[in-house]
Amino acid sequence: MLIVRNLRAGYGRIEALHGVSLSVRRGEIVAIVGANGAGKSTLLRAVAGLIVPWQGEVLFEDRSLAGTKPPAIVAAGIGLVPEGRWLFPPMSVLDNLRLGAYLRLRRGDKEAVRKDLERVFALFPILAERRKQPAGSLSGGEQQMLAIARALMSRPKMLLLDEPSTGLAPLLVEKIFETIVQLNGEGITFLLVEQNARAALAVANRGYVLETGRMVLQGRARDLLEDQEVKRAYLGKDYRDFAEGRAR
Amino acid sequence: MNDAGNGNGEWLTPAERRQQQLERLQISCNRAYKNVPFYRNRFQAADLSPQDIGSLEDVRRLPFTERRHFGEHYPYGLFAVPLRDIVRIHTAPGIGGSLTVSGYTARDLKMWKEMVARALKAAGVSADDILQIVLHPGLANWGRDYKDGAEALQASVIPLNALHLSKQILVLRDYKTSVLITTPSSAVQIQELLFAADINPNELSLKTLILVGEPASRELRRGIEEHLHVTTWQHYGLSEVPGPAVAYECEGHEGLHVSEDHFLVEVLDPKTHEPVPEGESGELVLTSLTIQAFPLIRFRTGDRVRVLAEGCPCGRTLRRMEWLPDRVDELLVIQGVKIQKDQVAVRVAQTLGFSPKKLSVHLVRQGGYSALEVQLGMEEDLFSDEIKELERLVRKTAFELRQEFGVPVEVRLLEGPSVEGHP
Repeated sequence: MLIVRNLRAGYGRIEALHGVSLSVRRGEIVAIVGANGAGKSTLLRAVAGLIVPWQGEVLFEDRSLAGTKPPAIVAAGIGLVPEGRWLFPPMSVLDNLRLGAYLRLRRGDKEAVRKDLERVFALFPILAERRKQPAGSLSGGEQQMLAIARALMSRPKMLLLDEPSTGLAPLLVEKIFETIVQLNGEGITFLLVEQNARAALAVANRGYVLETGRMVLQGRARDLLEDQEVKRAYLGKDYRDFAEGRAR
Repeated sequence: MNDAGNGNGEWLTPAERRQQQLERLQISCNRAYKNVPFYRNRFQAADLSPQDIGSLEDVRRLPFTERRHFGEHYPYGLFAVPLRDIVRIHTAPGIGGSLTVSGYTARDLKMWKEMVARALKAAGVSADDILQIVLHPGLANWGRDYKDGAEALQASVIPLNALHLSKQILVLRDYKTSVLITTPSSAVQIQELLFAADINPNELSLKTLILVGEPASRELRRGIEEHLHVTTWQHYGLSEVPGPAVAYECEGHEGLHVSEDHFLVEVLDPKTHEPVPEGESGELVLTSLTIQAFPLIRFRTGDRVRVLAEGCPCGRTLRRMEWLPDRVDELLVIQGVKIQKDQVAVRVAQTLGFSPKKLSVHLVRQGGYSALEVQLGMEEDLFSDEIKELERLVRKTAFELRQEFGVPVEVRLLEGPSVEGHP
């Protein structure tokens, strides 16, 4: 569904991605894990068209996205849930959601948008309760739900999630990832980047490990969870063993 | 869930295959460059960085890895992970008198297990089978990988053991073995031993014979199949490094499907090192795509193969190759063990205490199985009045060579002029 080949991108003169290739098949949840600064967000931003790649190709459903502007990429079926959520805090929950359907409302799909609102409220009942409240008054977890719900309003085939677990308590992280699995069951394909490798790989089908702008590992998510390198670098396994050993 | 996305790459479309191979090739290059000085230096000598590998064809810009490099970087010089991540260290008899050491991470072993299981499954092996492994000790790592793979299919495994072939045939009969994994040479020996021991193949439960280690001709296979009432399947593997079942036959028995989800295949003209035209034979060069501990970049196997262009009726999209009997290098392959002629000469010289002027090393076929034959020309240093002394030397040389290589050896003394010079 999504194919990325030899992607090079960066900011200013600094190259953050040194020729990255990856693919996401329809119906998959694919996780990209890596440390802070590995280039994960740059990768998502390049796919979403927010930055222009220096080199390489991005294909979505066999069509090149080269030169495609972000609104057209959204219209093609790719939704981005950015890190930090990028909500409009003074606006109400409902208005934030309507903004997610901006392209469709402009086309006059009012009835369909109303149905989708009902759908996301059914998915996130808490947002229905708070539909009139300003987005800025929601808790971190609720804001993340709102950000996902807003992306769903564009009826994406694929969602790009940038660090969905950032700043959330473990219980909420679990809730967010449960939602991802549920939406995946409803047919949405996911590409998510995460520092929280454990949570991401627990729900993903496959994973890639990005290290300083280069892919260094790939495989089934359950194999990566067992991988010594991944454990050491991203799961804090050695430290936990040490700590547990001390507690005994 | 998408099966293709989940590990078994036997059925990918050509476009999916290329993308998967590219992703994995880039990761292999990144890892080799990052972790193995040998590979990093070779990238740099070629003025390349891993990001220059932007297509599968770009692999041709990289230098070859050859068998001698294993000896030169003995023991751990080519490992790409810290030793703490290695869970198995395997030794194989190397060439040039050195040992070849390879290592596996836990994930590597899992990968081999799945790859071998898949190859066995293609030969119809299942939980209902009793599977016996009879291999030369030099192929002990294959023995372990076959055991793991067969166990993954829940077959009952009789692992590699030290029993002599004459005892193996009793196990074969009494334990009701249904699948036997062995080399073509051993298969012929087993067949002869069975007949010599007056055991009628009808007393056996054997139905599947998996031939490994050396290519087997159609005639040889037909002979074995008729005598033992079995179906034969051929597997291709790498003996010194990684493991078995890199390529395997499906029910069509027309060529071996190469595990292209784990290896990138090149078939090159041994002289020009350029890809051979479609349908022609050349040297098989493999690049590992998923191996963590011991990555191989453009490893020259020395094996001659021919890629079959047509798709396979079985539906697997892994390309098929025909494994041809002659090699592109000078190695002799006897029961799956690779022997360099120079190595034999060195051992003979050590045994005799001098370097014979007239020495030639051959592979001979006796009945169906192969042996190492050393011909020594008569010369003064060797000459003795006593026939007994000469016989002693011949026996000693043969004994030492058997010790060294673990294969059948014949040493023959010839009149000087009739022997050609050393290879």
